[in-house]
Amino acid sequence: MTALLNVEALCLEVDQKTLLSNISFSLLQGDYLCILGANGAGKSSLLKILMGINKATSGNILLNQQNLADLSQKKRAHQLSYVPQAQGHQLSFSVEEFIKMGRYAHHSALSDWQQADRVAVERAISITHTEDFLHRKMSTLSGGEVQRVLIAAAVCQQTPILLLDEPTSFLDPHHQIEVHKLIHTLNQQHGISIIEVSHDLNHATQHSQHILALKQGETLWYGDSSALLQSQQLHSLYEQEFVFTHHPQSGAIVALPSES
Amino acid sequence: MKPIHILILIIIISCLIVGISPHLGFTANNPEIQQHILTQLRIPRVLFAFVAGAGLALCGMVFQAMFHNPLATPFTLGVASGASLGAASYVYLGFGFSLLGIDGVTLSAFVGALLAISFVYSISRLHSGFSPETLLLTGVAISFFFSSLILFTQYLSDVSDSFQIIRWLMGSLNTVGYHDLLQLLPFVALCTFAILFLRRELNLLMLGDELALSRGVSVHHIRYTLFFVSSLCVGAIVALCGPIGFVGMMVPHICRLLIGSNHSWLIPATLLVGGSFLVLCDTLARLIIAPTEIPVGVITTLLGGPFFLWLLIKFKRIGT
Repeated sequence: MTALLNVEALCLEVDQKTLLSNISFSLLQGDYLCILGANGAGKSSLLKILMGINKATSGNILLNQQNLADLSQKKRAHQLSYVPQAQGHQLSFSVEEFIKMGRYAHHSALSDWQQADRVAVERAISITHTEDFLHRKMSTLSGGEVQRVLIAAAVCQQTPILLLDEPTSFLDPHHQIEVHKLIHTLNQQHGISIIEVSHDLNHATQHSQHILALKQGETLWYGDSSALLQSQQLHSLYEQEFVFTHHPQSGAIVALPSES
Repeated sequence: MKPIHILILIIIISCLIVGISPHLGFTANNPEIQQHILTQLRIPRVLFAFVAGAGLALCGMVFQAMFHNPLATPFTLGVASGASLGAASYVYLGFGFSLLGIDGVTLSAFVGALLAISFVYSISRLHSGFSPETLLLTGVAISFFFSSLILFTQYLSDVSDSFQIIRWLMGSLNTVGYHDLLQLLPFVALCTFAILFLRRELNLLMLGDELALSRGVSVHHIRYTLFFVSSLCVGAIVALCGPIGFVGMMVPHICRLLIGSNHSWLIPATLLVGGSFLVLCDTLARLIIAPTEIPVGVITTLLGGPFFLWLLIKFKRIGT
């Protein structure tokens, strides 16, 4: 199977500082990739290159076998959608207006709202269970609600790949689980390939299929998620020793920061 | 209330203001003279004020959306002072050219506006994490710089030119006949159409550059287009009426509170409220100490100063 997204030897230098060096990975159809790393490891820089905010200094990104640099912003938005961190969205848009804006890439300047748009928006709303607050203003939503609305807007963009930037960082445990379930559903039932930047080591090892661990702009570890916990590299990822135990319910191995 | 109801209300109020204003403050008793004043002075002046106000408010709306900041307007960012400097230099140098039927003074003001915005924008892009505060302070610095250059041209000018520049800098809508209106209308109309055409992009720009890019907006192209058309519009207005401040800050902000941020509704609302607001200010300027007229720029600035402070206090951190 050919990869949806293929990143080869990606480098980024800003002001003679190397932010990313020689990053390579690929994403298959239906894949779930988590990008881990300490603060400043280059996770956001990588995401920004994928979204076309920053340009890579060297290296190749192939999106559906097309060179990412050659795609217009609109063409790129047909392939990749993005869910930012849920903070600072003090907008006076209503939830419905905000979600509908996800359809931008499917319109030309003069085209009207069409049946396909209506269907896409309704579907996104029902998947994310955002029906109940469609008419509220974005600024009145709680953190968990904002995150679901942000995901709904990205889903109605109807892209094969969804990028999420720390989707649960600002949420309490209950809403973290709720959002993770939603991402899982999108991946498993709707076949959307996921790239998630995360700080949650246990979530990544248990729920994603692959992990790309970055350290100081370099690939520290890349492979099957379950294998990371056995890796010698784990302690070097966060400069932290871990101890391991089994989750009382699922039996999965969980890593806890060592206290010594 | 739904946006459509609010818009209908705005339309009704605007019609009333525009319809009534020309008939206020008549002193002559002769009906023939009254008729002449009405058709040759009052009606063109009200229409002129309406178009200018609509244009100023619209450009303010565009800047606020692009910089995600209620305090960012062509005036606070120094674009209007750039236009003023362009126009003042034209008067001082005594040029007399025109291009494609556009007055040279308008063209000079446009060039000044474009220079100012290019400068502010390049500075704001020097560092990626530039704060809105820095952007505004850049605008203030540019305004000071251009103002001193204007003072310099004024100092070098003879007394009558100098007086002309001062009166014009206060902002005035004193017009006779329809010539000024016809000069201004194409610019404001062009700007309005361009902005209506880009209403979806404006909505997305309000979400921030990252989200706008990810939704498929070519942020930089759109921004340059919007800078170009709004500089054209501000240039034309400044050249013809002088720098009338604060309309572009107050009106779009109030409209956003009334009708929300969706530009499909916000654009018509801003046009109408901006137009009526300036008509109202100009009528006040005519009536307060009649028969002497106060420059309308004085009225809008008297209202705008406190409004600016209110915004500053309300948005403790600018840009949130």
